[in-house]
Amino acid sequence: MSPTARLVAALAVLATATAVAAMAALFIGSAPVSPRDVLAVLGGRASAAPVDQVVVLSLRLPRIAAALLAGGALAVAGVGFQGLTRNPLAEPSVLGVSSGAAFGVVLAQVFGLRAGPLEILGLVGFAFVGAFVAGTAVYAIAARAGGLPVHTLVLAGVIVGIFFSSAITVLISIVDFDRLGGVVHWLLGNLGPLPPAELGLFVAATALGFWLVLHPSRQLNLLALGEEGALQLGVDAERVKRRIFAGAALLAAAVVAFAGPIGFVGLIVPHALRLALGPDNRVLVPAALLAGGLFLLVADTLARSLIAPAELSVGVITSFCGAPFFVYLLRSRTERIEP
Amino acid sequence: MAFAALVLAAARVPADALAVNDPTGRSLTLPGVPRRIVSLVPSVTETLFAIGAQDRLVGVTDFCDYPPGARRKPRIGGMLAPSFETIVTLKPDLVVATPAGNREETFVQLERLRIPVYLVNPTRLADVLDLISRLGALTGHAAEASRLAAALDVRVKGVAERASQLPRPRVLYVLWPDPLIVPARGALVSELLALVGADSVTANAGEGYPRLSLEAAVSGAPEVIILASHGGNQGPMAREKWARFAGLPAVKSGRIHSVSGDILHRYGPRVVDGLEDLARLVHPEVFKPSGRR
Amino acid sequence: MTPLAEFRHVDFAYRASRAAAPRSARTAFALRDLSFTVEASEVFGIIGPNASGKTTLIRLLSRVLLPARGEILLDGRPLEQLTRAAVATQVAVVPQDVPQGFPYTVEELVLMGRFPHAPGRLFESAADRDHARQAMAQAGVADLAAERIDRLSGGERQRVILARALAQRARLLVLDEPTAHLDLRYQAECVGLLRRLNRDTGLGIVLVSHDLNLAAEVSDRLLLLAAGRAVRLGSPEAVLDDAVLEEVYGCRVLVDKHPASRRPTVQILWPYP
Repeated sequence: MSPTARLVAALAVLATATAVAAMAALFIGSAPVSPRDVLAVLGGRASAAPVDQVVVLSLRLPRIAAALLAGGALAVAGVGFQGLTRNPLAEPSVLGVSSGAAFGVVLAQVFGLRAGPLEILGLVGFAFVGAFVAGTAVYAIAARAGGLPVHTLVLAGVIVGIFFSSAITVLISIVDFDRLGGVVHWLLGNLGPLPPAELGLFVAATALGFWLVLHPSRQLNLLALGEEGALQLGVDAERVKRRIFAGAALLAAAVVAFAGPIGFVGLIVPHALRLALGPDNRVLVPAALLAGGLFLLVADTLARSLIAPAELSVGVITSFCGAPFFVYLLRSRTERIEP
Repeated sequence: MAFAALVLAAARVPADALAVNDPTGRSLTLPGVPRRIVSLVPSVTETLFAIGAQDRLVGVTDFCDYPPGARRKPRIGGMLAPSFETIVTLKPDLVVATPAGNREETFVQLERLRIPVYLVNPTRLADVLDLISRLGALTGHAAEASRLAAALDVRVKGVAERASQLPRPRVLYVLWPDPLIVPARGALVSELLALVGADSVTANAGEGYPRLSLEAAVSGAPEVIILASHGGNQGPMAREKWARFAGLPAVKSGRIHSVSGDILHRYGPRVVDGLEDLARLVHPEVFKPSGRR
Repeated sequence: MTPLAEFRHVDFAYRASRAAAPRSARTAFALRDLSFTVEASEVFGIIGPNASGKTTLIRLLSRVLLPARGEILLDGRPLEQLTRAAVATQVAVVPQDVPQGFPYTVEELVLMGRFPHAPGRLFESAADRDHARQAMAQAGVADLAAERIDRLSGGERQRVILARALAQRARLLVLDEPTAHLDLRYQAECVGLLRRLNRDTGLGIVLVSHDLNLAAEVSDRLLLLAAGRAVRLGSPEAVLDDAVLEEVYGCRVLVDKHPASRRPTVQILWPYP
């Protein structure tokens, strides 16, 4: 099957599944809104009760949108980053950018940095600033006169990530007892209904990041088989690496800014897709946008309905899926090494 | 200009609208006297019951377990992650929340859903009594509220007067054993300890409820150690930890006691019960058990 | 006739900090004053001991590196003026192996060779697929098209990598140790394939090998490198001289003639300590 055919087929299947899941999620929640009432709201009927409208349109719908965007962004970042580092087990959090973003938010929460001129930034702004600092640090550490060697990029990302994670731990150890719960809760993932302005920003950031990763995806295929070989086939390796890094970093930062730190999606989804669709990034990147969204949507729907009316953090569900999945990955890879 | 805006605003507002300021200074405009209140704060739930306003309470958190009637109210989830859907379904006209326990995203989200949020944050005993009065005024139970506040005030003054004549033992109050968290400047428990005539060894150890090293706590040579229990399970384990320090006066005299954290750390009417418990533990020779419990 | 490729007084040194440089090249020049030409349809062999600069030469020829001094010309045009993609349409490198981190199929891998012809496209065209299929047929791997590369044997993978290079439709093929890990049968097949390509399509071939006998057998001309300098350049008979080889390789050899092809063969005189 040619890659275009595979892409179209994959997108068709994923789009259908996502649409079905999104529709289903509109009917699920702690509020007792009957299916008929949900449909009434969606149809814009005058008979729809105002409460139902609020529940469906102001709570469930924006949350579904946020889950789709965050999941898609994480999965695309994962695909890009795995191709960039030539390692199918890489996770976008290894970039160090997510930790920087999380640090920015925790800093703002712990010190109540919301007064005066800083208020304009909002938590989202703090997240992006933190991500920018971390990303610049990683790039500065890893870049050499010649370019961006991949192994130093990974090391730099890990180091910067550890630094910011430790910084977060320090913050947690000095935070007011009162605020501790809130901070820890946020660190598990904070997917919630986003207001239209933020949703719009999220869409824009995701679109840009997606484009940055998709555009050089053919070159990424060549890069995955060795940098020297790619150069010899005419790929401008440095430019591709910079683009993918920027795209993956932007996506990771956006997710932390708008949905809090959520792990494992960037690892599980690209890997599962690769098993199903092969390693061609031109197919994987668009498929990941949909599949990641679908995955996180399902996880989030579970998170908000398993122990209703209380809610689990979505990060709990993805971690629970992630750990056994990781074990499976490890075992299947070691089996392959046998001749 | 501002006056004109005010006039305009007033003109757009329905006749029986209520303009109130919550204790943190935010001003709210309510369509009327609130009849459907969701409480995200256990102490507020207790207070509403205590002033007879429980009929106006339509939703509480999983932690609102006192009085028993509160457990029969519809639940909206935890304090950190309440279910907005459930809240919205209850059609509240007011939500009471606190920045010390609920997350800011929660109130922001509620306001986006156009549900008025009344924020409370009592840090001193006076704030607690004031909150009781405010809630009374807000819910049309001003008379009961002022009776309750007055009665509580009498009890507080009673304890304070008797205690002021007595010698002041050194007391270490442990809010949480591990990490060690103690009351310091500005903490409500510090105020209570001062009222019952205790010399809190951690009174100046920081702001609010800071963490403290074991060394620093122990170096105050407390004569009484009071351990707050949360949910009833802390007592025996924590006691052993302190019993190790045989040199401490409190250990030698066996004056290691627990109190209910639920009472002392919920800033509602039962705080005064907690005050009296503290008085009994600090000055047993003067404050006898009243047979209340 | 313009030579396919030309080196004119090329110098190259790896910077001291560069971890990729071989130890001996760290402070010295990897290539010194190197000049040679590769004519169209020629089979040009490059031999020399380890660290003589053979790998560096390939990197320079494929524009992975740029010379510190001197010029490299492809079809008469300076390499520096060409984009990487343009170079890749003229020079196709066949490396020893490819990393197997990702399970691409043979066809996907061979199609990658078409990238330099249309680097702006996201997907390959039908013409690209035809070129790829032809290349796979030429390399004898057409029936492996749907196989994953990590499931192939070493010899099969070698031929697949060769197919990718052929798909580039370059006029110059550069092979880096093509028979390094192959057993006899595949070594023979490799020689046969190279000869056929050269004869039937006029493909220019640069063969870098430390297998002197292979180089002698297949090449029209040989370049002997030692410590980054050209020691000898000429026909295999002229270059493969006992004394020169002994000096360059540091061991005793005997140059003989292959019984069938009459090409020079080099035998090591094994020591009896």
